[in-house]
Amino acid sequence: MKLAYWPGCVSRGFTPELHGSMHLVAPKLGLELVELDRANCCGAGVIAEHNQEMADTLNARTFALAQKVDGAAGMMNICSTCQGAQSECQERLDADSGYREHVNSHLSEEGLSYERDGEWWNKNFLWLLVEEIGLDKLSEKVVRPLEGLRIAPFYGCYIVRPTKRLGYEGHPNRDKYLDFVIEILGAESVEYAGSHKCCGFPVITMNRATSLRQAGRHLADALDAGADCLVTPCPLCHLNLDMQQPDAAKFVERDLDVPVLHLPQMVGLALGFEPKELGMDKHVVKTSDVQRKVAELAAA
Amino acid sequence: MSDFTLKIRRYDPESGEPAFWHEYPVDLPPERSVLDGILQIKDREDASLAIRCSCRAAICGSCGVRINGKSALACNTRISDAARRAGPGKPIVVEPMGNMPVLKDLIVDMDAVHWKKIMRVVPWLLPAGEPPEREYTVPAEAMIDVTQSMACIQCGVCVSACLSLEVDPQFVGPAALAKAYRFVGDPRDGQTEERLRDLAEDPHGIYDCTHCFACIEVCPKDVAPMSQIMRLRRRATGDFEIKDSNNGYGHERGFVNIIERWGTLHEAQVLPRSFGEGSFVKGQVKPSAVKQLAETLPTALRGLRSGKVTPKKVIVHPKLPDQARVRKVMHTIESKPRLELNLYIVGDNSGEEQGAMAEGSQEL
Amino acid sequence: MGIISKVHPVRSHSNAAQGGINAALQPEDSWESHAYDTVKGSDFLGDQDAIEIMCREAPEEILHLEHLGVTFHRNEEGQLGTRAFGGASAARTYYVADITGQAILHVLYEQLMKHEEVERFEEWFTTALVKDDAGRIAGAVTRNIRDGSLELFSARAVIVATGGNGQLFSPTTNALICTGDGIAMAYRAGAPLMDMEMVQYHPTTLAGLGLLITEGARGEGAHLYNAQGERFMEKYAPNKMELASRDVVSRAEQTEIDEGRGFPDGTVALDITVVPRKRIHEALREIVNVGRDFAGVDITREPIHIKPGNHYVMGGVKTDINGQTGVPGLYAAGECACISVHGGNRLGANSLLDTLIFGRRSGQHAAASGRGLPVPEPAKAELAAEREMIDSIVSRERSGRRVSELKAEMGAVMDKDCSVFRDEGRLQGALEVIKRLQEEVTTVAVDDKGSVFNQDVLGVLELQFMLDNAECTLVGALERRESRGAQFRTDFPERNDGEWLKHINLTANGDVPAVSFSEVTMTQWQPEERKY
Repeated sequence: MKLAYWPGCVSRGFTPELHGSMHLVAPKLGLELVELDRANCCGAGVIAEHNQEMADTLNARTFALAQKVDGAAGMMNICSTCQGAQSECQERLDADSGYREHVNSHLSEEGLSYERDGEWWNKNFLWLLVEEIGLDKLSEKVVRPLEGLRIAPFYGCYIVRPTKRLGYEGHPNRDKYLDFVIEILGAESVEYAGSHKCCGFPVITMNRATSLRQAGRHLADALDAGADCLVTPCPLCHLNLDMQQPDAAKFVERDLDVPVLHLPQMVGLALGFEPKELGMDKHVVKTSDVQRKVAELAAA
Repeated sequence: MSDFTLKIRRYDPESGEPAFWHEYPVDLPPERSVLDGILQIKDREDASLAIRCSCRAAICGSCGVRINGKSALACNTRISDAARRAGPGKPIVVEPMGNMPVLKDLIVDMDAVHWKKIMRVVPWLLPAGEPPEREYTVPAEAMIDVTQSMACIQCGVCVSACLSLEVDPQFVGPAALAKAYRFVGDPRDGQTEERLRDLAEDPHGIYDCTHCFACIEVCPKDVAPMSQIMRLRRRATGDFEIKDSNNGYGHERGFVNIIERWGTLHEAQVLPRSFGEGSFVKGQVKPSAVKQLAETLPTALRGLRSGKVTPKKVIVHPKLPDQARVRKVMHTIESKPRLELNLYIVGDNSGEEQGAMAEGSQEL
Repeated sequence: MGIISKVHPVRSHSNAAQGGINAALQPEDSWESHAYDTVKGSDFLGDQDAIEIMCREAPEEILHLEHLGVTFHRNEEGQLGTRAFGGASAARTYYVADITGQAILHVLYEQLMKHEEVERFEEWFTTALVKDDAGRIAGAVTRNIRDGSLELFSARAVIVATGGNGQLFSPTTNALICTGDGIAMAYRAGAPLMDMEMVQYHPTTLAGLGLLITEGARGEGAHLYNAQGERFMEKYAPNKMELASRDVVSRAEQTEIDEGRGFPDGTVALDITVVPRKRIHEALREIVNVGRDFAGVDITREPIHIKPGNHYVMGGVKTDINGQTGVPGLYAAGECACISVHGGNRLGANSLLDTLIFGRRSGQHAAASGRGLPVPEPAKAELAAEREMIDSIVSRERSGRRVSELKAEMGAVMDKDCSVFRDEGRLQGALEVIKRLQEEVTTVAVDDKGSVFNQDVLGVLELQFMLDNAECTLVGALERRESRGAQFRTDFPERNDGEWLKHINLTANGDVPAVSFSEVTMTQWQPEERKY
């Protein structure tokens, strides 16, 4: 399946292991990724907070670039935040043809135009795994079932709310997909309070206490529920849950030390890639326990 | 008629016993509400089960509860939908709203949390000077725009769901901030800047919202409290350039400036620019900024140590190939009055041929 | 000064007034025109002096609300804009989308939060009004719902503003709190009730649940069809069509349904799809939600099934133009009062107006006349009696039916036999049921024996209030042997101005209310045939 691929900013910035692991697993899943290397940042909600028309235009530009990719089934992102921010803009663009024309007029100089088309989609890798590849097909590709691993899903707000905007009417189980994927890869999905809550990242520069208390609490809940690690389809969640974890621990006044995987890393492990290839050494919280468990699987 | 099971969290403060769960069978047509189920229990089995309710039509705002963990009005949650979401063979779980103390069964203390926060935002119109002889002349769109927050029925469902409040009980919260926009967006109010400054400077004000969409998701009246909070931010920074001490202004400006310059996010620049009111240089020299940067230094060092952040990456960030064009588009939009398409006003016209932008959008 | 409310004030049923509020504020309109429409709408039973006051003061009231912050709809020039409403000869309804009542109620509550000198007793349930030895009002006995404590409030004046009594009927558009408490308490305290037989059935309510679809829908242009696809209002009101007054439209619908031209679920269809979608989103948003959530219908795309349903009581505690009742110091305002500005039938968008104008007048008069009077000291015995009454309910062992069963029987019989079409036999039968229920309620037991939020025991008190209301409604309906406004007697199908152009007054008097009559005040409009 050929896809217009929007990796987002953070996967090429502070979480390069996400970008890298996605590139590794894509061919194994039969995905041909055409990277949108001319596309701009989705704005992460911040540009919309500044100026809605600006955010809508920037994302219309990205959609237009994606629509120009010949033979692509659709557009894929690997970041919950991109998904949410882009879906919000797309909702406005799709709702009103007059507004859409106005926004497109900004892009005409570049020869770009976003066309509303009921068929065209923009999906996070998680949605794509379940809806386009399919869990059955995914399970066929598993060469190393992650048996014995207890993985806590962390969805990221932007792909679970608001359900109306995010296509839950047609796909009511989107808030369970991460659990499905964990289970189909042979691991055990850990139920805990924080799976669909906020990592706190959006206010890390504005209210560090609120931000890190959130991150800390969810990590602690996952740990208490017996998780070996978390997995997330959102690199911004990853920043708060992994990179900030030592500080988050202080805000909840306890040791945490729980690794956080990117979704393609988890998939990659089950597809047989080695942790190092998947960039699992590039985490702030050491993934050695998970690596050890995976190594034991391989031996068995 | 169908059979449903409601599993309700009961609590009687006079019993000396902790809260407990009790399951009740109810027999209702599938299109009836969870509230109808609760009322049937009261009518037929145990009238001591306490819940506030009145209108049965989602206008009085009394019956906020959590159904299968999700905050909602019991009266506009269909019982068959709730059963489906609970999963096959599982009861519909009903418990009191979150983030507020429970008084009895499904009744929480709204005064202690919700109404206290409403009072925080000076919830009445403060017009400038004497009223005109006739009505105030104000744009029709502005009235519809604030009618979205006026549509709030003070049910507290968003307060119950708020994920910021969960970790910061002092957060002014979604309902009160939506109420604040009802005045900030009202052209008749004379204290727009004062209100915005107050809420921007409060460490638990508009910049304490983590943008999690929980309030938008649960609001039974489409008030979209978080969108109102974003509007408050937009007006604070865009219309009044309020440079708050929470770095809200700096974060927004810093982010926009980075995209203007590089087209994609240069993370290493976000913090210094946030603390420096959007400017990288200011972020290096402003005393408060230096302190804040120092606080985040351990994080940066961890990034470097783990190998995910390289020194080169901190300094060099590639521009997009067409960055000049992106910048031009941004400048064009920036140079015009802000344009907002309010879907609350225009509705979703996606099934229609012609758009309604000319009437439904507004310049703010 | 204090406000006592059995629910938090913003939960009150004024929220449900969706469509708007009338005032002749446009230069081409006149208060006389508004007054005439109201008189005609009332089927000439309204008191014209009171109607004149209401219509004269309406424009000022709208502007006052606007200045307080109500977000009224604007026209393109940014000035107050109007919509059309039933029974009106001009578009004079001011509105906030279809949440007008909610917007006004919430803005008034904003002002209450601002004026802290007004003490608020929120979630306090009043059980009885108390008089002094001279027969003047002295206060009220009230239960704090949160902890069950009972207090005796002393007051130089009391204004009853407790709303309507729609819960007598099942189904009803009214909220569960609309149990006629104030009407019953004033009646028990000796104040006469008036026009209690005049009960409005609203033309557009959802079958089964009874929820309201605003008249604003027809104001915006929606049509009514029977099952054969006929726009049947052509037969009944060829000029005003769907915008005839409510009694006329409800009777037309009921006739279609009774004569077999309705849908199998006992309804006719309201077609809102003729209103442009954007206009629906802007002006009728609430009923989009009601249709979606409570009927599973997208009203922007398909017609919705509706029928006449209990909605409003024109009658209530008899007052003068300053809200004074028959008991000195006791006032009534809003739906619980009968001044009477609505007579036999209330026009849409006149209820908020009535409440606001006469609420203000009552407040002003009560404050002025109470000033200088000593604070009364009501007898403590009243408090003890109420406490004993409540204790006896709580301690009673169950021996018979549940409170809910009694209430359901009352609601069903009232809706069956005291609704759009009435006759002596059915009314008499209903009255017998109510008399029996009045006996039975004195033995009813409760499940909740506690003090905190004991809604169960309050349910018994409410049921007793409702049964008093129901009795008066039936007695009035039996007494009025003619058809006027909302009262249509199939055994007396004509209006009879010679004998019945008068108000029926009911006063508590042992077992059955004492019936007396009072004149209808006429200023400039003589009764004429009513055509729409």
